[in-house]
Amino acid sequence: MKMKSLILSLIFLFGASSYGQSLEINGYVRSYLGVLTNDTNDYSINQNTLDLKLKRTDDNVSFFANPFLYQTPNQDVSLGLREAYMDVYFNTMDLRIGKQQIIWGKADGMFITDIVSPKDLGEFLLRDFDEIRTGITSLKANYYLGDNTVEMVWIPTFTPTIMPNETSIWSRIPEFPLPITIDESQKEIPGRLENSEGFIKFSGMSSLLDYEIMAGVMWDDDPTLHIVPIITVDNPTPTGLRLSPIHHQLTLMGGSFSSELGGLILRGEGAYYMGKQFSALNPEQMNLPTSLLEKDYAHYLIGTDFSIGTTRFSTQFIQRAILDYDDLIVQEELDNTMTFLANRTFLQETLTLQLFGYVGLNNEDALIRPSLTYDLADGFEILAGANIFVKNEESETAGLFGHYDENDMVYVKVKYSF
Amino acid sequence: MKTIKSILPMGILLSGMIFAQDLSGLEVIQKVYDRPTGNDMTGNLIMTIENSRGNQRVRKIKQFVKTVKNGEKKIMYFLSPADVKNTSFMTWSYDDASKSDDQWIYLPALKKVKRISSDSKGDYFMGSDFTYDDLGDRHPLDDTHTILREEAINGKETIVIESVPKNEEYMYARTVTWVVKDSWIGLKKEFYDEDDELLKILTVDDQQSFKDVIILTKVKMKNVQRNQFTIMEFSDVQIDTGIPSNKFTERMMKRGI
Repeated sequence: MKMKSLILSLIFLFGASSYGQSLEINGYVRSYLGVLTNDTNDYSINQNTLDLKLKRTDDNVSFFANPFLYQTPNQDVSLGLREAYMDVYFNTMDLRIGKQQIIWGKADGMFITDIVSPKDLGEFLLRDFDEIRTGITSLKANYYLGDNTVEMVWIPTFTPTIMPNETSIWSRIPEFPLPITIDESQKEIPGRLENSEGFIKFSGMSSLLDYEIMAGVMWDDDPTLHIVPIITVDNPTPTGLRLSPIHHQLTLMGGSFSSELGGLILRGEGAYYMGKQFSALNPEQMNLPTSLLEKDYAHYLIGTDFSIGTTRFSTQFIQRAILDYDDLIVQEELDNTMTFLANRTFLQETLTLQLFGYVGLNNEDALIRPSLTYDLADGFEILAGANIFVKNEESETAGLFGHYDENDMVYVKVKYSF
Repeated sequence: MKTIKSILPMGILLSGMIFAQDLSGLEVIQKVYDRPTGNDMTGNLIMTIENSRGNQRVRKIKQFVKTVKNGEKKIMYFLSPADVKNTSFMTWSYDDASKSDDQWIYLPALKKVKRISSDSKGDYFMGSDFTYDDLGDRHPLDDTHTILREEAINGKETIVIESVPKNEEYMYARTVTWVVKDSWIGLKKEFYDEDDELLKILTVDDQQSFKDVIILTKVKMKNVQRNQFTIMEFSDVQIDTGIPSNKFTERMMKRGI
C-alpha cells in the first residue's frame, strides 16, 4: 500500500510539473472526527482526507481526474479514484469516456431515477454528496437540440453498491431464526458484453418546466438474498440457512420534473421497475424467507422548495409500491418516507445553520441531522453536527433508520478547499 | 431594446444625450431603464466584501449576458474562492414585468442543475451588501418618482429623484438617486429601510466607455447601519462579441467556461 501511495504521489508531482499552469489543480484537505454518544463514546470515524481534482482543457477536449486518499490513525491509507475521464466536445454533441459519476433526476438525497452511478454506503447515507456515489467506467454521449438533450450511457462492466464491511457499525445483517452461512460465489457479474448496462435519457429546460424521461436495462445494484435451508439426509429439519447474494437484471423507465409555481419550486420524480426479486416466506419451510417472487414496483416522490423570510425549506414525500402484491413478501406493500430541510445563513453567509432529516413513516423511525458551519476564511470551514437515529420501540420492525438507534453521534469536520 | 443588466446595479448603467429640462421623475428613470447597452456583454467581476471588523473576503466571477427576443439571458461562473469554484448560475429574465425570472444553479458537488425560486429578491447576493433586487432591473412603473431638487455632486450637475414603491411589501421604503444631467449616469443612490432609516448608500468610483456604451466599472455599496461595505469591480469588459445563444444552456452550466 505504501508503494502504491508513493507511485501515486510521483504521478501527481510529475503531472503537475509537466503541465505547468495549464493543469488546474483543486481539491480539499479535511479532518473528520465523530464520537458515538452511547456509553462507549467510541469514535465512529477519525479520518483525514486529501481529495484532488485535476483538470486540463484544450480547445475541444479535456480530461478530469479525482483521486482521493483516506487516512485513519493506525490503519493503512486508503486510495481511490472517484473519477477519471476524457471529454470530447463537438458542435452539438459531447462524448465522455472513462470512470465518471452520472447523476440524474430532480430528487434530493433519494435514488429513484438516479441509479446510473452506484452508491457507496460504507457510512450508510452520511457521506457528502460527491462521496456517496462511486464512479463507473462508461461511455456517455450527449446530443443537444436547443434546450433539449438526448443522453445515452453504456456501462460495459457492472459495479454494485459498496456495502459496509462486516465489522463496521453500519453493517446490517438480517436476523434469522437459524444460523446462517454466507456464500458469495455467485455475487460477481462476469465482465462480458451481454452483461453490460445501458441507459437513455431525454431532458429539456424551459421557462415553464424542466423535465427528464429515462429508461434503462441494468443490474440491480442491491443483490437479492437467495436463502436455502441446510438439511442433511438424516435430519430433514433445517439446521441452518445458506445466504447467497445474487444480482438480477432490472428494466426501468421513469422521469422527473421541476417547475416554479407562485414562488415555490415543485419537483416530482418517479420510476417503474420491472423484474425485481422479492424475498417471501415459504409456508412449506417453517415460514422461512426462502422463496423469491418476481414483481414490478413503482418508486416516486413529490417535493417542494420554498423560503420563509431568509430561511429556505425543502420537503419531499417518497413512496415505493410493490405491484400485484403477495402477502408472503417480506417487504411491506407500501413504503413511505419523508425528507425535510431547513437552511439559514447569518453574518454575511459565513455562518450556516441547517437541519436535514429522513423520516420513515411505516416504522416511525428517523435520521435527524442538525449542523452548524462557519467559514473562518475563504475556503476554510468548520462544521459541527450530529446524526440522531430515532427508533420507535413499539414498532414491530426497527426500520432503515431505527436500526442504527445505537449509532447516534456528534462530529466535527474541518475542511480547507484550494 | 431591453437593457443588459450585467452584475452592476441597475438604474445607474446608462448613457445618452437627452437633456433633462421638462422631464418628470418617471421620464428620467425611464431613460435610465431604456438606455442601450449593446446586444451582449462579457466581463470579469471581483467582489470585495468587508465587514465591520475590517475583515475582507473576495469573490471572482466571470459572466456573460445576452439580449434575446423577449428579455435577457445571463450566466455567471464562480471562479473563487475554491469552495464555490465551478458553481454556475443562470438567469432568464423577461421584458414582461408580470413574468418572474427563471433561475438555475449548478453545484459541482451535486453534479446537477437545480431550478431555484426567483422569489427571494431580498436575499443578499453571495453574502455581499447587494440584494438580488439591487442587481436586477426594477421596472420604472413599480415606483412613484418625484424630482426633489437639482444638485452638484463630484463637480457634476445631477437631478435628485425620490422613488417610492407602489407595493408596500417592498424591502425599501424609498430610494433616492442622483442622476447626472448630460450623461444620465447615476452617481449615487440611497436606500431607506422599512422604518425610513437610511440603510445603504451606493456610489460610483469609476466608469469606462466601451464603444458607445458607458459601463460603471467600480461601485461601492455601504451598509451604514452595519458599518460594512461591498466593492464590485468589473474588468475585461467586451461588448457585442456575438455570444451564441447556446451559451445559456444546461450544457454550458455544467461544462464551465
